[in-house]
Amino acid sequence: MSAAAPGSTRDTTRDDVPPVEVDGVSVAFGAIKALNDVSFTVAPGSIHAVIGPNGAGKSTLFNVLSGVYRATSGEVRFGDAVLSSMRPFQIAGVGVARAFQNIALSGAQTVAENLMLGRHHLTKAGFLSSGLRLPRATREGRVHGERIREIAEFLDLGDKLHTPVGVLSYGDQKRVEVARALCIEPRLLLLDEPVAGMNAQETERMAGAIREIRAALGISVILVEHDMGMVMSLADRVTVLDFGRRIADGTPAQVQSDPEVIRAYLGSGTETDPAEAAAAHTTDATGSPA
Amino acid sequence: MSDTLSAPAGATRTGAAAPARAARSPMRFLKPLLLLALLALLLVLPLYVEEFWLRTGFAVAGAIVGAIGLNLLVGTTGQLSLAHAFFLAVGAVSYTFISGESGGLGTRAVLRGLGLPPIVGMVVGVLLAGLAGLLFSPIAARLRGIYLGVASLGLVFIGVHVLNTWTPVTGGFNGRSVPEFSLFGFSFGNDDPQLFVLGVPFREAERLWYLGLVLALAAYVFARNLLRSRPGRALQTLRDSEVAASVMGVNVQAYKARVFLVSSMYAGLSGVMYALSIGSIAPESFGLTVSILYLAMIVLGGLGSVAGAALGAAFVTALPLVFQQFADVLPLVSSPGEGGIAAGIAARYLFGAAVILVVLFEPGGLAGFANRFRRRGRAPGRGSPSASPASAADRPTDTDPSDPPAQGSSTR
Amino acid sequence: MTQFLSLLLNGISLGAIYALIALGFVIIFKASEVVSFTHGSLLLLGAYSIARLSEPLGFLPAVLVGVLITAFAAFLVERLIINRLRGAPVISLAIVTIGVDIILLTELIRQIGPDILNVPHPWGGDSVRIGGVGISENRLIAMGVAGILIVAFFVAFKYSSWGVAMRASAEDGEAAALMGIRQGRVSALAWIVAGVLAAVAALFLVGAPTPGVSAAAYTVALRAFPAAILGGLDSTGGALVGGLLIGITEAMAAGYQEQLSFLGRGFGEVAPYVVMIIVLLVRPSGLFGTKELTRV
Repeated sequence: MSAAAPGSTRDTTRDDVPPVEVDGVSVAFGAIKALNDVSFTVAPGSIHAVIGPNGAGKSTLFNVLSGVYRATSGEVRFGDAVLSSMRPFQIAGVGVARAFQNIALSGAQTVAENLMLGRHHLTKAGFLSSGLRLPRATREGRVHGERIREIAEFLDLGDKLHTPVGVLSYGDQKRVEVARALCIEPRLLLLDEPVAGMNAQETERMAGAIREIRAALGISVILVEHDMGMVMSLADRVTVLDFGRRIADGTPAQVQSDPEVIRAYLGSGTETDPAEAAAAHTTDATGSPA
Repeated sequence: MSDTLSAPAGATRTGAAAPARAARSPMRFLKPLLLLALLALLLVLPLYVEEFWLRTGFAVAGAIVGAIGLNLLVGTTGQLSLAHAFFLAVGAVSYTFISGESGGLGTRAVLRGLGLPPIVGMVVGVLLAGLAGLLFSPIAARLRGIYLGVASLGLVFIGVHVLNTWTPVTGGFNGRSVPEFSLFGFSFGNDDPQLFVLGVPFREAERLWYLGLVLALAAYVFARNLLRSRPGRALQTLRDSEVAASVMGVNVQAYKARVFLVSSMYAGLSGVMYALSIGSIAPESFGLTVSILYLAMIVLGGLGSVAGAALGAAFVTALPLVFQQFADVLPLVSSPGEGGIAAGIAARYLFGAAVILVVLFEPGGLAGFANRFRRRGRAPGRGSPSASPASAADRPTDTDPSDPPAQGSSTR
Repeated sequence: MTQFLSLLLNGISLGAIYALIALGFVIIFKASEVVSFTHGSLLLLGAYSIARLSEPLGFLPAVLVGVLITAFAAFLVERLIINRLRGAPVISLAIVTIGVDIILLTELIRQIGPDILNVPHPWGGDSVRIGGVGISENRLIAMGVAGILIVAFFVAFKYSSWGVAMRASAEDGEAAALMGIRQGRVSALAWIVAGVLAAVAALFLVGAPTPGVSAAAYTVALRAFPAAILGGLDSTGGALVGGLLIGITEAMAAGYQEQLSFLGRGFGEVAPYVVMIIVLLVRPSGLFGTKELTRV
């Protein structure tokens, strides 16, 4: 249905996507340093993966990037915007979108309504004009509804637009998360374990979608992911964290052969799928007779 | 992937509007018809029913306005507030002061009043309630929902204190009477002008009935529109996860402050209507009990549902009045002074028990119950999705402690 | 100066009673994530039971049974309702306790009626003077008993297995469960302890200078809510400080009523709420409450 050129032809980066510079960021919770002087740069239009064993500080890093945590020291810059001194809604305003790992959608709202939330900073209707249904509020809703449909169809959600998110399957909900982030029209997309808990087929589809997003929109993507196969095939560059420190940064091939990375992964035990781990965890909690 | 994604240029394309959802059931045609019939019924009711029911109807209309306002704050946004009685009081007192006349009150302090037209009193009452909400909103915006619940208790006690002590304006401990409403010379009292419709005298009760109908309908439509639009979506997301709302670009503090403002304006209008319905205001009409009853309304009706708030308001307001009216035929219930349980008290037992049962067994309230009934057969195996706002969080990867099914199953 | 000292002492004694109530409120929150609006009527239940039982049983047995009744009522609320809602949104939990409060309070007010029930404290309504500062014996004993209970509580909280279990589950419920801590038991015990503390507070709250048990005791008990919020809803130490602060504020505002007359008669009763609102304006999580990690 899209009238625009097929995405794959557009392999150049948009000129309004600046690099992301993470510069000496530390985050401390009391005595615990969740991030310790972490620096790296995300080149415009690249897919940049952040990996590391459990507890390495990946989630903390995402929380700093999206403004949910305040960095104790250091700075995150995205072009002219200093993300580390902005509140989350302001960060969304400069085109940084985040898809949550643990699905933070509103279950009672439909897919369309959840996606429309992504348009929040692109729309203006306030309490008064919405409550009175002034023409400009309804027009706004209609125009943006069009784009919502486009994005939903791109992620295979076109037929589920009016379904409440709460009744969708897990894989569908994960895709709604990504779709909602896309609705922000981001210049930088933060994906927090987008395939966690998905089966092989769903994972393959998601990986394809991420490639497509980058190719069609020319935006930067930062990806936290446990699925190594996916990371290595998808990422242009990889940053490895361990115990809050950056232990490696390079191309997938460089990182894979880095002795410190190998040590970090072997030292912390085998890498497990986080969804599996969490499921086992829950079973223990409820099944334990203690 | 089924399709390709284009650059955001698509957002500005207009073209055919998104196709509406296909007609899925006969309800689609039935519903507007039913609503129309209901409206017609409400319009002709004063021709047929007694004054008692019309007066009850106006009291219900006032409560509906207040309950819708509280539901926007508590049900939609997840901010617990017990301050509603305070904002009702601001509306009621402002109206009485602005549109009331100065005058003596026996040997006590002379009452003051501005004697302005009642419509001015009503509008300014709503605005002042909003202003009071705005003044409190720096707190409301920064507090977590549950802290707000206790903090807002404070406003109720401060409000009652002011009502008791600011005698020239409020009438003090004994309260003061409320000026009749009128609109451009048309009085909502018993005469001036005398009015007959189809041979039925239209006195105060009949006139107020229509006023209540118009105001409640307006309050209802505004809230419905609001919830289905940009601010409404932001508020609902904010309830489910403040972090998610914020990351998606919602200025959480500003929205909390704004919804508090809107909610207190609703309360202000409700307060004016309450004053008109009772005919006098006194401190005990705006105590903690009132806040709690409003909370009961929206819980029984269904948190987050506008129609539910209206249903709950009707139920909670009308029940004690009906009990009282039919005290002599109802078992256990008695008129004041006789043995047995007084009507008001019997109703309160019922509300308390109903609140507990709703939270335990039907978190969607009356609205959720109705939804489930309607949806039966359409979405087999799943309850009403609106019943549990947290349902989306119900995933194995989620370690959030407020994850109902996972933990609830082990304790049952 | 004497007046000031007298008000201070009376404020502290009142504050000690509030601290008992607030402490119960806080441990319920820590153990079961519930903001219990039932607490005021539980306290009234304690006061009413003690007053009603004093005649047939005698004072001390009545206190004992009254405390047991209150603790049992709290236990029932936890078992029958709260326990079934484990993991429900905090706001639903608060609302369900309001439902319980409506029923319990309505019934108690119906039982008490317009009367004031007398509690025959053996120490009666006498006052003592300490260096020129007057205080009722009731309040003096209250201070002592509250002091002992609070110390006992903090020792138990720190060293008993229940205290350790409770702090662990408040810290990280899931991890605590993994280590074999039964949250249901921790929570039930917290409600029982809170019930005991409320009943003891009730005993002194309805003694001199208060004339006895009336529906007004409920309103007084509610002032422990600002105490708990002021200190920080999840801080036991905060409950203590908050209780004292509220008690002193109330006593001072009532004592200096003449000077504060522009605020209206009876300002002492709302002063606690004013102080609470001011504190929350500066510190949204109370004085000692855990601050939010996230920024929105």
